[in-house]
Amino acid sequence: MSALQSAASSRAEAIQVSRIVDYLGLFILFMVLTGSYHIHAMLTMGDWDFWVDWKDRRLWVTVVPIVLITFPAAVQVLLWERLRLPWGATVCVLGLLFGEWINRYFNFWGWTYFPITLCFPSQIVPGAILLDVVLLLSGSYLLTAIVGGMAWGLIFYPGNWPVIAPYHVPVEYNGTLMSVADILGYNYVRTGTPEYIRMVEKGTLRTFGKDVAPVSAFFSAFMSILIYFLWHFVGRWFSTVRFLKAT
Amino acid sequence: MKVLKDRTALWSFVGLLLAFAATSFYAPSASAHGEKSQAAFMRMRTIHWFDLHWSKEKVAVNENVEISGKFHVFEGWPESVREPNVAFLNIGIPGPVFIRKESYIGGQLVPRSVRLEIGKTYEFRVVLKARRPGDWHVHTMMNVEGGGPIIGPGKWITIEGGHFADFKNPVTSLTGQTFDLETYQESNIAFWHVFWAVFGVAWILYWVRRPVFLPRYLLAEAGRADELVSATDRKVGIAFAAGTILIVVLSMGAANSKYPITIPLQAGTMRGMVPIEEKKSTVAVKVEDATYRVPGRAMRMKLTITNNGTSAVRLGEFYTASVRFLDSSVFKDTTGYPEDLLAEDGLTLSDNSPLAPGETRTVEVTASDAAWEVYRLSDIIYDPDSRFAGLLFFFDANGNRIISQVDAPLIPSFI
Ligand SMILES: [Cu+2]
Repeated sequence: MSALQSAASSRAEAIQVSRIVDYLGLFILFMVLTGSYHIHAMLTMGDWDFWVDWKDRRLWVTVVPIVLITFPAAVQVLLWERLRLPWGATVCVLGLLFGEWINRYFNFWGWTYFPITLCFPSQIVPGAILLDVVLLLSGSYLLTAIVGGMAWGLIFYPGNWPVIAPYHVPVEYNGTLMSVADILGYNYVRTGTPEYIRMVEKGTLRTFGKDVAPVSAFFSAFMSILIYFLWHFVGRWFSTVRFLKAT
Repeated sequence: MKVLKDRTALWSFVGLLLAFAATSFYAPSASAHGEKSQAAFMRMRTIHWFDLHWSKEKVAVNENVEISGKFHVFEGWPESVREPNVAFLNIGIPGPVFIRKESYIGGQLVPRSVRLEIGKTYEFRVVLKARRPGDWHVHTMMNVEGGGPIIGPGKWITIEGGHFADFKNPVTSLTGQTFDLETYQESNIAFWHVFWAVFGVAWILYWVRRPVFLPRYLLAEAGRADELVSATDRKVGIAFAAGTILIVVLSMGAANSKYPITIPLQAGTMRGMVPIEEKKSTVAVKVEDATYRVPGRAMRMKLTITNNGTSAVRLGEFYTASVRFLDSSVFKDTTGYPEDLLAEDGLTLSDNSPLAPGETRTVEVTASDAAWEVYRLSDIIYDPDSRFAGLLFFFDANGNRIISQVDAPLIPSFI
């Protein structure tokens, strides 16, 4: 604290320094999050997010919210506890989407020529806004986990549907019924990813028939709550200010 | 201040590095040229591709090229490779330079994985549509779950004429609309991603218009954190949350009324692939012994051949792992088979005079070509199960073909 104050000699200068620290800090926070959250995302949800023919009603809906609630839960602790700022989840997902779009545009399209229509990322901003607002209004991590985590899981599928729906239009393709997404995955050859690797529409939810997406979403929401708690403590451990105090 | 600066520099650097690492971390693999590095026994004892035909060697963008032929699922399928209960007829190309318009096994479209039976021969056909100009090495390929890719012969196909930008991939839905898959829904994707990005940034901007780090940190440390959130802040928060829910509900409803008929993704292994009806081979072949001479790049085998058929036959071809050794006095290739995989005079027999019906003869057969080394087939002597395998093609005077198989241990010779 003393180091921070003695660095500036007048009040005007102090404000200026403080603002510079803000901009630098925001930039660093965004970049660090973009990088680390993106690596985490690729290692956990990978193909489910890379390809439109993996975005199904069961596994995509289930896997993506669960593995993505991690960083938001951790960063919310840091920003809320230390600074009373309720945009931890939002800054995470914006960083992730920024990184994903760079990757999809320059690597998938620019380097390998997969069309964007096959490999755009999932939409996760709506859930992050809800997660942040619940924390702001309740000021409680328990409520954020339960209400926010639930909202995060439940809004994922409807939040993506305006983009995904047109890919589920049926096509009769040389005598076989296929969705537009299936045809895209079939047409644009992924030599290293044979069809049987694709994990979609698998599971034991057959009894729910047509309404499998809401069931998957509820399951995902419950799991998101649990993972939120887990990563909340990861966030606590990371947001220690011991080092800052030492300087 | 100095400490702060150093830290800032350090973390900026870490951040950029991480962001860079993360974005370049994964690029879908574009190369298909693993053909030579694959274990030789995999290529010799799994799928045998033959009677291949390439409709064209040069195509313009938007034109089709068709690869057809047969593949035999070898009886001596190695124990270390899982049986082809789940297999996918793929194509080995460096990224989507062509699109796979159609692919068939036994006349059935196979957009998904299939079950193949060991010992059967299937007819296949793959229709590719040229997308990106260039010279491309195109391989037939069968992926087997638990076994990896089994790569067939690679042939250079040139896409010349036309531009990548002019590539079109039209499809008509069951609801009657026709659209180009190459750019399908691009503006809708862009709209929603920009919309939500702006929405999220607006939420953060609302907070960072005010001082962010130092003053807030100091106040929070002083135990006055609650002063940092005002009643207005809460109202704005409620507005953002309500707006989010409203937009999602409305846009979902709009999507549902615009696309009232949707189906789930189609998945699951396809069964019941129809193999070719084969008559039993009328030429019986017994391998007495086989050696591979390392310095001469030649395989020599002693075969006892019995002709149980009704016409005299001669051996015209020995095929293994996509490499074809021919005796040009019996059989010549006219399909434009890739040169590096074709030894037009690579097959010699101690006696290749016609073998009469009912006759049995023991002959020395030598298959020699640089392909043994180039395609690392000779590495088979370093495999844990040093066996070779392949197909023998016999021909009678009328050009009728009889296929027999060989599958026997191989002994290396180093002198
Ligand atoms: Cu190749």
